[in-house]
Amino acid sequence: MKRDWNLSFYLSMHRECNERLLARADRMEWSQMELSQQKEDIRIKRMADEVAGEVHRMKAFVRLSSLGSGALYGYLKPRHRIGEIVCDHFARRNQGVIVLLGNGRESWISYCREGRIRRERGNGLEESLEKLKSALQIEDGRHNDAVSDGLDAEGIWQAYYDSQYCPERKNLALYRRHMPRRDQEAAGLRLVQNKREITLDDFWQQKTVL
Amino acid sequence: MLIRYKDMRLVNSLMVSLQKMALLAMECRFDSLGLGAAEKAARARLSVAGEAAEHAAESIEAAGQAAGSIPAGQMAGEVDKRKLTILGEGTRHDVCASTFSPRSRPLPGICHAFTQDGRCVSLFKTLYTNLCSHQCGYCSNSSGCKSKSRTFSYTPEELARITLSLYQGNYIEGLFLSSGAGRDEERITEKMIDTIRLLRLRHSFSGYIHLKILPGSSEYHIQEAMMLADRVSINLEAASASHMSEICSTKSYESDILQRQRYIRHFMAEIKSKEGVSILPAGQTTQMVVGAGSESDEEIFRRAVFEYDEIGVKRTYYSAFSPQRGTMLEKRHAQPLWRERRLYQMDWLYRIYGFEKDEIRCAFDDNGFLNNSDPKLAIARDCLDLPLDPNTASYPQLLRVPGIGPKSAGRILAWRKRQPIASKKELAALGVRIKRASPFLKINGWIDGTMEMWQA
Repeated sequence: MKRDWNLSFYLSMHRECNERLLARADRMEWSQMELSQQKEDIRIKRMADEVAGEVHRMKAFVRLSSLGSGALYGYLKPRHRIGEIVCDHFARRNQGVIVLLGNGRESWISYCREGRIRRERGNGLEESLEKLKSALQIEDGRHNDAVSDGLDAEGIWQAYYDSQYCPERKNLALYRRHMPRRDQEAAGLRLVQNKREITLDDFWQQKTVL
Repeated sequence: MLIRYKDMRLVNSLMVSLQKMALLAMECRFDSLGLGAAEKAARARLSVAGEAAEHAAESIEAAGQAAGSIPAGQMAGEVDKRKLTILGEGTRHDVCASTFSPRSRPLPGICHAFTQDGRCVSLFKTLYTNLCSHQCGYCSNSSGCKSKSRTFSYTPEELARITLSLYQGNYIEGLFLSSGAGRDEERITEKMIDTIRLLRLRHSFSGYIHLKILPGSSEYHIQEAMMLADRVSINLEAASASHMSEICSTKSYESDILQRQRYIRHFMAEIKSKEGVSILPAGQTTQMVVGAGSESDEEIFRRAVFEYDEIGVKRTYYSAFSPQRGTMLEKRHAQPLWRERRLYQMDWLYRIYGFEKDEIRCAFDDNGFLNNSDPKLAIARDCLDLPLDPNTASYPQLLRVPGIGPKSAGRILAWRKRQPIASKKELAALGVRIKRASPFLKINGWIDGTMEMWQA
C-alpha cells in the first residue's frame, strides 16, 4: 500500500465495496490503516490493492487500434469498476483523440484536450463503435490505416516480442506471475506463447551452452 | 455503481455527446501525437531551433533515400520482419527496462508485456544497425562473429514511424535505442540522434527515450543526445581496463567509456548550475557482463560502487554471460543466473539499505566470489554479534536484520510509538519474515537462537 494512495478512491471501484467499508476507510488516516491489524481493515487494504493492481495491469495490457485519424478503440472487460479511469488514462496519453474501451455489455468513451476530459458511457463496444463511426463519418473497411500510418502494429509487435525472449533464461513461473491469464483475458490480449520458431541451430546452440 | 469522487458533479457536467467529441477530435486531427497545444507551444520554445530541426529533417529524408536499404513500397506499408527480429535480438541481453521518468509528474513504470523468461518488455528495444567494427568476444554483433549472416539498418524516419505506431497502440512506453558502431560510430550516433529528434520535435513524442551512447562518441553528440533523451547509458561491460582487454581488443576502457561517463555527469551539472534546468531526468546508467572476463564478484562490486559514488549513475545493471554462436568466447561456459541475482542483492544492500562498503565485503569468499546464498544473511552472521531488540533498535540496525526490509522497518518504528512489540506474531503482521529474522532478534527478553544463525 503506497503512502500517496487515495484508499477510498480505489476501494470505491471494487465490485464488492459497500457504504460501510467506504465510511470506515474515510474515517481512518493512512498511517492508522497501514498499521491496523483489524480484520476489516486488512480486508479494505486487500480490496484497494486488488483494484490498484488491476488498474495498473489494464493500463499496460490493453491494446488500441485506430479508427480513422481521430479515434482509438480497444477491448476491456475488468473485474472491478475501473473502465472509466483506464479510459481517461489513454485519453490523456493520446490528447485530441477519442478513446473507446469496452466489451460486450458496457463501454467507456473519453476525450482529452488541453488537460480537460470529456466522458461518455455506452452499452457495449460494438454499439459504441458503430456510433463513433457514424459520428466521425467513417465508412466501413477503411478505418485502420490512418493514424498508424499503414503499419501493421500487431505484426511488428509480435516479431519484436519474439525477438526479446532468451531461451537460456526461460522462467515460465515468473512469466505467469507477471502476466496472469485472467488479466490477459480482461484486456483481450492475444499474446501467443512459444511463438518464437525453434530451429536446429537453436538446438545446437543450447547444447553447446549446456 | 458507488461513486466517491469529490468532483463527480463536475464529471457529470463534462459528459457530452459523442457527436460533440467527434467534432472536437476532427478539429485537432492534424495535431501531433501525445501533446496538447499548450504543451507543444512550450516544447517549441524549448527546442534548440525550429529551423535547425527542419533542416535536419530534410537531411534525414535525403539520407533515407540514399541508404536504399528499404524498397519504397516497403517503407510505405510493411516493415521487414526479419530486420525487426535481428535488430531486436541484438538488444535482448541489455537488461535495463526502466521507464520511470519524472519529466512531468512521476509515474510508475509500466510493463506492457513479459517474455517467457519473466523479463519486462516496456520499451521498443532495438539496434539502429547490427553492423559493428568492434571485436567484442561476447557479442553476436561484433565484427569477429562468424555466424552473423546479414547486416540490417533502419532509417531514422522508419524507426520513428515504428515507434509511434507501437506507442499509439499501447504496446510500449517508449524507445530504447542502441546500435553497433557501424564503420564510423560518429555517423551512426548522428543517425540515432536524428531519430530521436524526429520523434521529439516533428512528432512531439512524449514517451520515454533511452539512448545508448556508443563508445568513443564525440562530446557534441553526447550533449545533443542528452537534451532529447530521458536516459542515456554507456555500457562498461568489464570491471577494469585489464578485464576489458580480455574480452574486447578495440575499445579503450578509460577514454572510450569512463571519460564519456564523466562528461555526461559534468554536462548535467553544468546545465543545472548555469541555466537552472534539469536535463536527462532519468540520469545515466551502465551495465556489466558478468563472467565474460575473469573478474571476481568483488571486483565487479567495487566497480559498481565507483560508478555510484564517482560517476553518479542511477543504476548499474548486471547481465550473466551466455556464449553466443560464432563469437570468440563461444567455448566459454555460461555463467549461472544466480551469480547475476546475488550481485543485484549486493547492489540493493548498498543503494537502498545503506550498508557500508566494508560491511558488505564480509559476503565475499577469499577469492572474491559470492556463494549462492543470501548475502544479507552472510553479512548478518558476521556483523551482528548480539540479538537486537526491535523495541529499541534504530532504523539502520533493523535494516541489517535478514527478513526486515525498508517497509517493515518503517512499520516497526511507527508501531512501537504506540505500543511495544510483544510477540513474533505482531512482527509477522508488520511484514517481517519471522523465520529469517527471529535468530537475530530478542523479543520480550527471549532470544530465538537456532542452529540456522550459527551454522557456517
